[in-house]
Amino acid sequence: MSALTPKERIQKLFRKEAIDTMPIFSGMGMVTIQAIQEMGIRFASVHTSAANLAGSARTTAKMFGFDAAIVPYDMCTIPEALGRGISLYADSAEDILYPTVPSKWATLDEVDVNDDFLNSGRMPLVDDAFQILKSETNENLGLGAWVLGPFTMAGQVIELDILLKGVKKDKERVEAFLGKMTELVIKAAVHYESLGVDYITIREMGSGTDLLSPRMWKTLIGPNLTKVFDAIRIPTVNHICDSTDMIIEMMNECGAEALSVDQKNNVVETRKKVGDDVLIFGNFDPYGTLVQMDASEVEAVIKKCIDDGVDAVWPGCDLWPDVKKENVEAYVNAIGKYGREATPAVGRL
Amino acid sequence: MADEAREKEIMEKLAEAVIEYDEDMAKEWSETALSEGVEAFKAIMDGLAAGMEHVGELYDQQEYFVPELLMCADALYIGLDILKPHIDQDKVKKMGQVVIGTVQGDVHDIGKNIIKLMFDVGGFEVHDLGRDVPLESFVEEQLKTDSDIVAMSAMMTTTMMGMKKVIKMIKEKNPNVAIMLGGAPVTQDVASLFGADGYADSAGNAVQEAIKMIGQLRKLQKQS
Repeated sequence: MSALTPKERIQKLFRKEAIDTMPIFSGMGMVTIQAIQEMGIRFASVHTSAANLAGSARTTAKMFGFDAAIVPYDMCTIPEALGRGISLYADSAEDILYPTVPSKWATLDEVDVNDDFLNSGRMPLVDDAFQILKSETNENLGLGAWVLGPFTMAGQVIELDILLKGVKKDKERVEAFLGKMTELVIKAAVHYESLGVDYITIREMGSGTDLLSPRMWKTLIGPNLTKVFDAIRIPTVNHICDSTDMIIEMMNECGAEALSVDQKNNVVETRKKVGDDVLIFGNFDPYGTLVQMDASEVEAVIKKCIDDGVDAVWPGCDLWPDVKKENVEAYVNAIGKYGREATPAVGRL
Repeated sequence: MADEAREKEIMEKLAEAVIEYDEDMAKEWSETALSEGVEAFKAIMDGLAAGMEHVGELYDQQEYFVPELLMCADALYIGLDILKPHIDQDKVKKMGQVVIGTVQGDVHDIGKNIIKLMFDVGGFEVHDLGRDVPLESFVEEQLKTDSDIVAMSAMMTTTMMGMKKVIKMIKEKNPNVAIMLGGAPVTQDVASLFGADGYADSAGNAVQEAIKMIGQLRKLQKQS
């Protein structure tokens, strides 16, 4: 039997059909400094060029044998398109600084969502990157897009403390604002779907129970995420980092094809709570595992994720680009070694 | 001058104002404390800060989360702004100076602001550099102010690495400066590896750590 292509492997995984081996991919940035150096560019120049964005994703995937390419890398594309600006740190002496949003709206009254945001700022550039990836990888590589969830997006465009205090003090207006952000997230996700990506991760990373109570999550986060997942027709992943043990069942009720959690989640318990039929992705600490650890320790981390019951080993967040090459190789090899057995939700050919 | 029972009542009301994040109540009872001759520093420590300690317990019990903590902090600041100008400086143990900020590349400052509150309550002179602060600014400000502590936070892994460089630069120039790190990606291992003297790994934990420190400060002030 011929091996599946990376794209087929990912597509089948999302359909919970038998695959040959566990795909090596993520729903978040997976660019590495090794790929950037091979291209002869700087990290700061990756975000403003479709060719660099696509090239760095493709080069990383090829270099390490990843099954997918994911762009963009920074969380500012939509805020920038809404007129909040962008700090690129192009002149900084630091090798790796992610772009940030320099001017958030100071009050809810100032919020003014640009209806044409998909054509503003770097949004067309990201579209071009997807088109390049599609043509250059000959449909062989999986293609992943991501959009921040409504609450996290809100925190990117308005001061977080206004938002967090507002959910208690100014609930109606905050809910209306989050409704606007939900429409925005749906518009962006449906747009990426139209570009032909294989899956979309919605990263509601600012809503874990380190910040919000489960009760607040149920009323403020869950319903908006459900609307987002209802609107997308291709496979989706509901990703939240930080503490998720207390909200994992509610996350599962939002309707995504898969759940993605970070290293704070107890996957063994999560599996018991949601059952074997739900796709769970996770849950290693990308910085600790791929930057800090000795390469010899990586295999055990990956094996534990699989033993605990994930259907795909995902990092809990973006890969920190300055990974150790040998650690990434150990991570890829470990999935190759332990990913051939069936997982709770997905069988093997 | 308030008698013992009245003073106790004022302290309880100040604490309640913080716990119930009632800014009007914090204002009213801080003014009451002053008008009835309660020592301002005592009102801060045994009223407002005691309330914040209870808030820490509510956070531990998962009754309160970050939105509540932020509102409690707002109520505390309302009281602090009223009471602080009236502190008898001779009776206060001088706690020193601190430089605080979030490192370049990070625009999240909730954890930083909560830690700042702890220093404010504790009687430190705080030099707040804000957020997205170039690394060399921490070093320059520490040298300029001769601060005892430099506190930096990064909410994301993507900005954490800058802190290591700041620690190196500061320790080279002044090894006695205490460095505190905070933020979601900062673990004990990272703090140790970077050469820091203390850490808190989330906004929530920053609050817990800050509240513990407030508790320690209250004990110290009582002993002195």
